[in-house]
Amino acid sequence: MSTTALIFTLVLLAGFSFWLGRKRSFAVVNGDAWKLHSLPNYYGYYTAIWCGIPALMITAMWLFFENTIITHLVVVDLPEEIRSLSPDRLNLVVNDIRNLVSGNIVSSDVDPAMRAAADHYIHLQAISQAALTVLVLAIAISGALLALRAIRQEKRARNAVERIVMIFLLASSTIAIFTTLGIVLSVLFEAIRFFETVPLTSFLFGLEWSPQMAIREDQVGSSGAFGAIPLFAGTLLISFIAMLVAVPIGLLSAIYLAEYASKRVRAMAKPLLEILAGIPTVVYGFFAALTVAPFIRDSGGLLGLDVSSESALAAGLVMGIMIIPFVSSLSDDVINAVPQAMRDGSEGLGATKSETIKKVIIPAALPGIVGGILLAVSRAIGETMIVVMAAGLSANLTANPLEAVTTVTVQIVTLLVGDQEFDSPKTLAAFALGLLLFVVTLILNIIALHVVRKYREQYE
Amino acid sequence: MTFQIDSGIDLPGQELGLVSKMPAVENNGKVSRDDRKTVGDITHADPRMTCRDVHVWYGDKHALNDVDLDIGKNEVIAMIGPSGCGKSTFIRCLNRMNDSIDGCRVSGDLIMDGQDIYDRKMDVVLLRAMVGMVFQKPNPFPKSIFENVAYGPRIHGLAAAKTDIEEIVVTSLQKAGLWDEVKDYLDQPGTGLSGGQQQRLCIARAIAVNPEVVLMDEPCSALDPIATARIEELIDELREHYTIAIVTHSMQQAARVSQRTAYFHLGDLIEVGETDQIFTNPKHQLTEDYITGRFG
Repeated sequence: MSTTALIFTLVLLAGFSFWLGRKRSFAVVNGDAWKLHSLPNYYGYYTAIWCGIPALMITAMWLFFENTIITHLVVVDLPEEIRSLSPDRLNLVVNDIRNLVSGNIVSSDVDPAMRAAADHYIHLQAISQAALTVLVLAIAISGALLALRAIRQEKRARNAVERIVMIFLLASSTIAIFTTLGIVLSVLFEAIRFFETVPLTSFLFGLEWSPQMAIREDQVGSSGAFGAIPLFAGTLLISFIAMLVAVPIGLLSAIYLAEYASKRVRAMAKPLLEILAGIPTVVYGFFAALTVAPFIRDSGGLLGLDVSSESALAAGLVMGIMIIPFVSSLSDDVINAVPQAMRDGSEGLGATKSETIKKVIIPAALPGIVGGILLAVSRAIGETMIVVMAAGLSANLTANPLEAVTTVTVQIVTLLVGDQEFDSPKTLAAFALGLLLFVVTLILNIIALHVVRKYREQYE
Repeated sequence: MTFQIDSGIDLPGQELGLVSKMPAVENNGKVSRDDRKTVGDITHADPRMTCRDVHVWYGDKHALNDVDLDIGKNEVIAMIGPSGCGKSTFIRCLNRMNDSIDGCRVSGDLIMDGQDIYDRKMDVVLLRAMVGMVFQKPNPFPKSIFENVAYGPRIHGLAAAKTDIEEIVVTSLQKAGLWDEVKDYLDQPGTGLSGGQQQRLCIARAIAVNPEVVLMDEPCSALDPIATARIEELIDELREHYTIAIVTHSMQQAARVSQRTAYFHLGDLIEVGETDQIFTNPKHQLTEDYITGRFG
């Protein structure tokens, strides 16, 4: 039976054992469901779980290890001269055998030994499939039978099902955690490979970024310099401009929405503002590149300034607009969280509304607002699409917002787009940059969470 | 207890011709439960604030119905009554704290210093500087003790120099009976004090702007008995300088701290009188029901 059919059968079996378990629970109390410890459905779930879950787990494990074991068995039976090849070459041979098995094109002429190995492979696969089918069906049926036998009047099926639900939830959250861990590790290992060729210090403190490596000895002008400072300077410059736009506008609109706006205005304005967050960043990107950047260049020209057509200013301004809803929405929440008693206390002393906001509400909400702003900053630093389209590629180390700069994310994109060889520092540099970016945003997020948590302890 | 109809009841505004007929009377001589006209003397010989025909609506809900009452100089007047009777609503009218509530509408005359406080020309900021408020739950700002008290004087520009502010803070804390407990911790956050200390800090904060009237909305309901006793003592001392209107759920408290008492019931002002008289010999059946614990 093929794996798909097997899983389908398992699901059917589980459904059938649900019905059996439910029926059995009625049978043990002679149809009087009141006497049961749990509702009849729980006995059904209990039986279905015992039927399905162990069998599915065995299937998953079997499929996970099947390939390795079969390959190993095939390799052992290969002729001596093939087995004694280097691991890399042996891998190629195994690949050829697999290709032969699945009917793909193979790299060399098929010799009889290979053909025999492929037949052997197919034979082993068939055995494995049959064994799996028998084993899994046996486990499913015996699981269901055991569960059915366990059903008594006082059997606590409800609690048992509850425990399995808990384990399921735990497994779900573990998957998220392990995925993060996996991403970090994969980036980390590639970054370590990068640091084997480029020293850490010259990456962290180098002032020049030009990631072209010479492929041949005689190639011109491709020494390769991997100093990350210009990239981070560009990232920080653009993020700074973005925050310069987003913080005042976001904060002031949050104050208006939370303190002054009538219910009707608030109900309309808040969703409208949050639409900004729903615009895809690629749309912001071409808005920045095609509308804002030329506008800034032209108006700069009128003032006699020399503005690059891919200025940091254009990318920063548009990124700032994109981040406004982050700042305003989070600030609005923390301002609303300031107790009404604070407003009453201040206004009861004769303070005006703006005095109350300035001297009581904002100071009380400040930690929360700072937390929100830090989250927005880490969003700005990690933002890719706008800067890919609107910021340049030249790694200038400058603080002038009218010049073109490049960012970490832009460089990662350009390093990895297209066909790349994975053994040159040029490609691996992307992982080092990614790791550094991850560390920076992680630190910002930790600070933000810490500040927000501290704020929560403020009242009570 | 004897009761004579022609001499026993002082009807408000009887001499002004406001009351047209005599109230219905129960067997025991009390004014009947169905009669919602105010019984007792609503006037004060030396009034600080005069309220006439005060109505309050929250949206469609008629929360306060035709209240007439004087608040006298240097007296403590207690508002009592079951929950939702309008007593808090009434004292929140006195410094227009109801303004910030959506859908709240106030009509009638509320006169202070010859001026209607709901007049268009009235400056709410100045009114609230004259009529301070202490709330049910202590609500110190999340600032230092010093800054909490200095807040009011600063926004009203009551002190030019730094030393003036310090002096105001010290005297206010002394008047609120908190000075000895906090004089070494003035830079600590006000939220770190105990509940009773926080409430006295709020009282210090309110009197730092030198108001003439202090409104207290159940100031002890979140406090333990010892802190409550401390605040009650304080209210008695403050009477020397301020007029105090206090809302309370505790009848013992009203009896202990106030000179006059007003009983509210479902938006009507039922009875006003000397505190002794209200608690020993109420003239309205509803008042008697309430103070004897038949409801509320």
